Amino acid sequence: MADKQYKLTFCDGSGCLKNHAREFRQLFEEELRRHQIQQNVQIHLSGCLGMCTKGPILIVNPGYILYGNLRSEDAPEIVQEHLINGKPVSRLIIQEDHLYNRFFRIFGDSEFFGRQMRIALRNCGVIDPEKIDDYLAMRGYEALAKVLTEMTPQQVIEEVKKSGLRGRGGAGFPTGLKWEYTAKQSDPEKYVICNADEGDPGAFMDRSAIEGDPHTVLEGMIIGGYAIGSRQGIIYIRAEYPLAVQRLKKAIEDARREGFLGERILGTDFSFDIRICLGAGAFVCGEETALIHSIEGARGMPRPRPPYPSVSGLFGKPTLINNVETWANIPVIIIDGADWFSRIGTATSKGTKVFALAGKVRNTGLVEVPMGTTLRDIIFGIGGGIPNGKKFKAVQTGGPSGGCLPEKYLDTQIDYESLAKAGSIMGSGGMIVIDEDSCMVRMARFFVEFTQDESCGKCTPCREGTKRMLEILTRITRGQGKPGDIEKLERLGTMIQKASLCGLGQSAPNPVLSTIRNFREEYEEHIHQKKCRAHECTALLSFVVQDNCVGCGACKRVCPVNAVSGNRKEKHSINPNLCIKCGQCYDACKFNAIAKV
Amino acid sequence: MDLIRKKRAEAVNRIISKGYLSTKRVYVGMATCEIAAGSKEVMAVFQDAIAKGLTDVYLSQKGCAGRCNLEPTVEVVEEGKIPVKYGLVTPERAREIIERHLKKGEVIQEWVI
Repeated sequence: MADKQYKLTFCDGSGCLKNHAREFRQLFEEELRRHQIQQNVQIHLSGCLGMCTKGPILIVNPGYILYGNLRSEDAPEIVQEHLINGKPVSRLIIQEDHLYNRFFRIFGDSEFFGRQMRIALRNCGVIDPEKIDDYLAMRGYEALAKVLTEMTPQQVIEEVKKSGLRGRGGAGFPTGLKWEYTAKQSDPEKYVICNADEGDPGAFMDRSAIEGDPHTVLEGMIIGGYAIGSRQGIIYIRAEYPLAVQRLKKAIEDARREGFLGERILGTDFSFDIRICLGAGAFVCGEETALIHSIEGARGMPRPRPPYPSVSGLFGKPTLINNVETWANIPVIIIDGADWFSRIGTATSKGTKVFALAGKVRNTGLVEVPMGTTLRDIIFGIGGGIPNGKKFKAVQTGGPSGGCLPEKYLDTQIDYESLAKAGSIMGSGGMIVIDEDSCMVRMARFFVEFTQDESCGKCTPCREGTKRMLEILTRITRGQGKPGDIEKLERLGTMIQKASLCGLGQSAPNPVLSTIRNFREEYEEHIHQKKCRAHECTALLSFVVQDNCVGCGACKRVCPVNAVSGNRKEKHSINPNLCIKCGQCYDACKFNAIAKV
Repeated sequence: MDLIRKKRAEAVNRIISKGYLSTKRVYVGMATCEIAAGSKEVMAVFQDAIAKGLTDVYLSQKGCAGRCNLEPTVEVVEEGKIPVKYGLVTPERAREIIERHLKKGEVIQEWVI
């Protein structure tokens, strides 16, 4: 086993250092050298892992074997038995009490998972989502039992407030405050809603969370219902997620059978039930007031706030509405405690955030990282960087409501405030990486096309404004941009931001404004020089045969419009008047003799 | 509180009674994305093998682990050994995993994530 690569993580937090962690590490390294296996082992140091009382801590990957309370005499044993013989030293392995991060134990994939911290997704990919037994085995519904038997509703709210948890749907309103406002309303009838209307292109955090661990969401909602004094919960989920809906239904049935839902939960006086409401997939219905209208059976359109849903929501009753990921955090906060939770993250943003990492990045997937992780860590660390040796250009966060951040913002720490300061938003967690082959104008156009399509039409600035913006952007990408277009886009964008009612309208111009701010030169090139540097805008592109053409005729054969001419073994040429820019000749050429200009 | 502890103990017992501890545990990722990538076919291969007499295996499904570009994923966990997770599993690969890993205990290194 000595040829196997091990990755060791030593906790280098102050708590462990007090317990002589550094001395232990030095000894361990000596031991590695003595056996001459130091080259097979990679050593990382980590910040405080929150297990200070059990320091020094050593994690061995693959396998996420967690050693604690280590003494200097243990080092030779671990090296000999585990690293050389491949048998973990069970005597020294410690069990965590915390709910989070059970993930790593099962995977050796430490490059990807080792940098993450999983709270909301703690059971995703670990348990069978269709078996309530699996969830119970992971201390499922223990938080609910604790809340019902040991805490008053007021204490629950205090705990959530103290944790510093903020809404994970994008806007980041403090969850505890929302709970408090709703609880304060005297109306005996209240509702709890889970917003699972995930609509951002490229985002799938909520779907994965529900498909991977539906009971967590239910448990969070039941706790919420207890805290504010509600009897009825509703999950608003889009019908495009059939598997998620099916698993939720199964989970609700199982929970009812086991007495976690329904009348007199776990033998207490508290009763609560949850039903599912299917959405038709309108993007605007992710906005809370539009969502409430949709549940009521009305057309999904936002209304002015106040009154906020916490005062007058569903059917005019006080309503507590939170996002899937927010709900999934609740059981962990209750079990592991608000103090523990609020230690993770930055000064203003606590806990972790799930991102759907997509686009031009090696490891696409779901990542959950502590707040305060930098964009660079996510994209180049967990994501593994840009594939095919291409250069990083920008990262788009927050979906159609967010913005594009160029390289200079890569070291931005992820929290609600710093992302907003950099000119984007946290959003619900979409993260699209863009490399040098993508045109920023087209990117902006894509998002405006989306919001234009999804605008409900209530406010003129949003309905008409996005339409006009789309027209201008389309023109620019077709090479018909005019001087003054950029200024017009900026003026329109600011106007839409200011004069729209809901978040959809207010944020619709963000992709355009942020790309103008950070990539203005690309817009100018499109308009003035009729050039697209990413060669994505076909109208601004032509294919040219270069001198290294050997005249094999491959391009000629694939051209669907016979635009290529030339004799065998002679340089060919492309007639620009016939060329439809399909790019087939470019792909067919084995000598890279065809260039995009 | 006692009730929930009891329920948990019962649940753990039920899981164990299905053969959780004694055997090799095989998990197939089954979220929408993984099904789209072909995990249903992979699952069918394992189910088929069990129906045809493969023993000592506890087959179960899981949600998305977030490793999108390597889906479908299959995980083989054995008590006391380092867990193995395979990526980009096709029905053919699944058959080979059954033959080589589950029956002969050989870890197929080149497919491990």
